[in-house]
Amino acid sequence: MCEESSLSRRKVMKWVVLGIGAATTGVLGVPAVLSTFSPTIKHDDKKRWRPLGAKERFAEGKVISAKVETRLDKDFMHMTLPKDVYVWNKGQDEFVVYSRSCTDLGCPVKFDSGSECFFCPCHGGIFSKEGDVMNGPPKGPLHRYSYRLIDGYLEIDLSSVPVVA
Amino acid sequence: MLNKIFYFFIHRFGLDVAADKILFRKVAKTSWYQGDGATMVTLLAVQLLTGAVLTLSYSNSIDTAYQSIEFITYHKTMGWFIRGLHYWSAGLFVVMLVFHLLRHLLIAGYKTPREGTWWTGVGLFFLVIIMSYSGYVLRWDERAVYAVKILLNILSNIPYLGDELILFVQGGSEINSHTLTRFFSVHVILVPGIMLLLVGYHLFLVIHQGTTSKIERRIPVETKEEHAEIYEAAKESSSEGEEFFPTTMASSGIMSFVVLLFGIILTLTLGPAELYPEANLTETSFPQEEWWFWWYSALIAILPPKSVPYFVVWFPIALFFFLISLPLLDRGPKRDMSQRPLWVIFVSLSVMGLIGLSALRMRSPWTGWPSQKLPPFPKEFVVTPGLEKGREVFVQYGCNSCHAVAGIGPSVGPDITNFERLLTREDIIKVILHPSPKIAMPSYQGRMTDEELKYVSEFVFVLQIQPRRK
Repeated sequence: MCEESSLSRRKVMKWVVLGIGAATTGVLGVPAVLSTFSPTIKHDDKKRWRPLGAKERFAEGKVISAKVETRLDKDFMHMTLPKDVYVWNKGQDEFVVYSRSCTDLGCPVKFDSGSECFFCPCHGGIFSKEGDVMNGPPKGPLHRYSYRLIDGYLEIDLSSVPVVA
Repeated sequence: MLNKIFYFFIHRFGLDVAADKILFRKVAKTSWYQGDGATMVTLLAVQLLTGAVLTLSYSNSIDTAYQSIEFITYHKTMGWFIRGLHYWSAGLFVVMLVFHLLRHLLIAGYKTPREGTWWTGVGLFFLVIIMSYSGYVLRWDERAVYAVKILLNILSNIPYLGDELILFVQGGSEINSHTLTRFFSVHVILVPGIMLLLVGYHLFLVIHQGTTSKIERRIPVETKEEHAEIYEAAKESSSEGEEFFPTTMASSGIMSFVVLLFGIILTLTLGPAELYPEANLTETSFPQEEWWFWWYSALIAILPPKSVPYFVVWFPIALFFFLISLPLLDRGPKRDMSQRPLWVIFVSLSVMGLIGLSALRMRSPWTGWPSQKLPPFPKEFVVTPGLEKGREVFVQYGCNSCHAVAGIGPSVGPDITNFERLLTREDIIKVILHPSPKIAMPSYQGRMTDEELKYVSEFVFVLQIQPRRK
């Protein structure tokens, strides 16, 4: 009788110890995990239009690089790195705005005005002026940003290309 | 009296027990190259020390990180030495790690009863890889920011989770101040913390299970009981056993000393890793990975393009599962290299592959790059004004972005002095205007004037035959 009750006492104790342990882990662990993964949980899917400059800056037929500010809305604590994009003015207010990220592994492509190709410095990716893969491992054409013209100013939507571009 | 005080502290800190269990234990004899473990412990200590000193001046904010590295390198007393040694001992650590891994494949270090030792080692292997990647991101130069981009691009190939992982690693939808802070946290706190625990556990198991000894490579041992019997007998015998301190420590210490000395010499001669321009996404950049990743980069370049997105995701995962399952798949008593010819071949091929691919990456024959530099004419070449003009057109239209002239320049397209067969002027013009869609060459139809076409085709035509005549 006495043995039995001490056994069940032990059992209860065991569950109490485990329970308190699990609760403590949970109280600390859940906020830690949520905080760690917060950039994934809370991020802006909204369109982010940023100006590239007056459309006259981009001579017709030429592929010209332009700098774009990438600052995120509201997040004043987030300093971001501005980036360069390539703008091809096809004429009659038609533009192509390329991301500089190679579609293989994201190295910065360089436009060669001589051959009119984009060269990737890493693994031999070469893209045509149309952005199509001509050589190397890239898995697809260069990413194109959505653009719009407002009062003669060219703007692009940063959210219109994959996050990785 | 002094003696008494001495033993008081020894006893109260339990140092007598620790010394008995660690220093004055008997072990079965091993080969000289098993000093690689001690070498890594030494290098780890160097990493911890130099790393700790670096954190005293390093700033993990993206607007000051680069300047703080410049300060450490150029202004801080002995800063260049600390940073240099941190860099070189990190590189040597990766080399020793690969050596340690391959060496254990050769002598079956993962076999009974050392499976646990192996598994903790596999964990450490991947943590070291993370360290060797996150470390150079902290420099926050161009190489660093593109290392981040490449990692993100690799992650983007992971099905379903790709975009989430990018947001997670990057800390937002653009590369931002949190990105560097996260890499700092991973490199300086999270991974070193886990690594230290795991190294401690790995070493506990090394002491507990012993290391693969000479005798068990001669006498077949299969079960843990057989192993215990032979190992226990060996370590007490005078011919097969030795005292860990000082005998084993002296022999394994030699390798540690030599490797560390090498690291110091590299630091003194080559100095810390080159600093590239500050991290930016706007300048033209020609980024490269650190040299211990060259072989991997070369693989990505030469594999069939379609397989690359799968390779970059599945190769590390497959490697992990291969290493984890190895002790379960390869059992049995054979431990000596002479009984493991397949492994000898595998390891030899791996070493040759690593070196060969790294050498290939150094040359990177797949990369074309625009250049305004006129290619030199071959020696003893009669240069006419027409050829001079042709060479200018050759550069003006970026032919030299892909084609070399007499071995100088990129090798994406064929060297114009070394075509498979001699081309006529008409052939050359045809290729320039209508290149085969199978080759990576743009058409110059409508771009070159007839005159330019005449000059450049003459240039290519004459150069392709000239060196052959000699």
